[in-house]
Amino acid sequence: MKKRFARRKNREAVDVDITSLLDILTILLVFLLKSYNASDLKLDLQKNLEMADSDARAMTRYAPVVQVNKEAKVFLNNKEIGRLPASGEMPVLTEALKKAKVGIELDNKKKPANQQTNTDLVNLVFDKEMDYAIVQRVMHDSALAGYSQFKFIVKGNY
Amino acid sequence: MKVGHKIKKPEKLNLVPILDSVFIFIFFLLMSAQFVDVYEIGSSVPMMKEAKNEKQEKDPLNLTLEVSKTQIVVKTGLHSPRSRTFASEQRKEIREYLTELKRQHPKENTMILKADPKISFQNLVTVIDSTQKEKGSRDELFSQIVFDNNGVK
Repeated sequence: MKKRFARRKNREAVDVDITSLLDILTILLVFLLKSYNASDLKLDLQKNLEMADSDARAMTRYAPVVQVNKEAKVFLNNKEIGRLPASGEMPVLTEALKKAKVGIELDNKKKPANQQTNTDLVNLVFDKEMDYAIVQRVMHDSALAGYSQFKFIVKGNY
Repeated sequence: MKVGHKIKKPEKLNLVPILDSVFIFIFFLLMSAQFVDVYEIGSSVPMMKEAKNEKQEKDPLNLTLEVSKTQIVVKTGLHSPRSRTFASEQRKEIREYLTELKRQHPKENTMILKADPKISFQNLVTVIDSTQKEKGSRDELFSQIVFDNNGVK
C-alpha cells in the first residue's frame, strides 16, 4: 500500500502549453473588436433583399424598421405585413406604423428623457434593384403615419 | 567548495484571471456582433412654414438635383435660376461643383432631390453619396436631403 502512494507523490503536474490558445484568442478578440458596432439597431435582413452599397458612415439608430424585398413584400419589424399594391397607398402599412408609433410613445413614458426613442424616425430598407417609385410610395405611407424623418439603411462599402 | 544556494526557478505567471476576463469579453462581443456593416442616409419630409415677408438681398441657393437614368441636372437659384448637367458617371465633377456651391453658400445645407421613378434605389444612393462629403473630409456639404414627391417627369 505504502509503495503505491509513494509512486503517486513522485508524479509532477502536467504543464499544458496554452500559447497557441492565447494566440487564437487574441486574433478572435481583435477581429470581434474590429467588427463591433455600437448601434442599438439590430437588423435581421429578410429573404430576397440585397441592401444598397454606400459610402455613408452615419451610425444607425433604433426605430421601426420597414423592409421591402425584391418581391415587393413589406415587413415591419421583421413581421410580414403584405405585398405592396401595384399602385396607390398601402393602408395596412400606414396602420401598422401608427401602431408602432403608439407603442414607442407608451414605452417612452416609462423612460427618462435622455433615453427616449425618436418617434418621428423610421428606418427604411429597400432592395437595391427596387424602383424609386416604390421607395417614394413607402415614404408617403410612412409620412401618413406621422413619421417625418426617414433613414435609408445601406451597406457600407470599402 | 560548492555553495549550497539552489538556483531559483522563475515564477510562473498566473494567467487564469486574465483568461477568464478575455473569455467573457469574447462572448459579449460575439453576442453583439453584426457581420454586415450597416449605416444610414437621412432624409426628411418637406415641411412648410410661414415665411416673413422680408426681402432677401441674396438669391437663395434652392439647390435641386434632378436625377434620371443617364444624367443629373443641378439647379440653383430662385429668382435667377441656373442649371448644370452632368452625366450619371461624373461623380467627382458633381462633388467638386457642390463643394464650390457650398463655399459660396456656407449656411445652406439643404438639397432637394427629384428623381425619376424608374431609377433603381442603388442609383439613387450612389447619387446621394456623390453629393456628400468625401471620405476623410470634415466639411459637410448638403447633408439635409428633402425628396420632392413630384419627381422628374
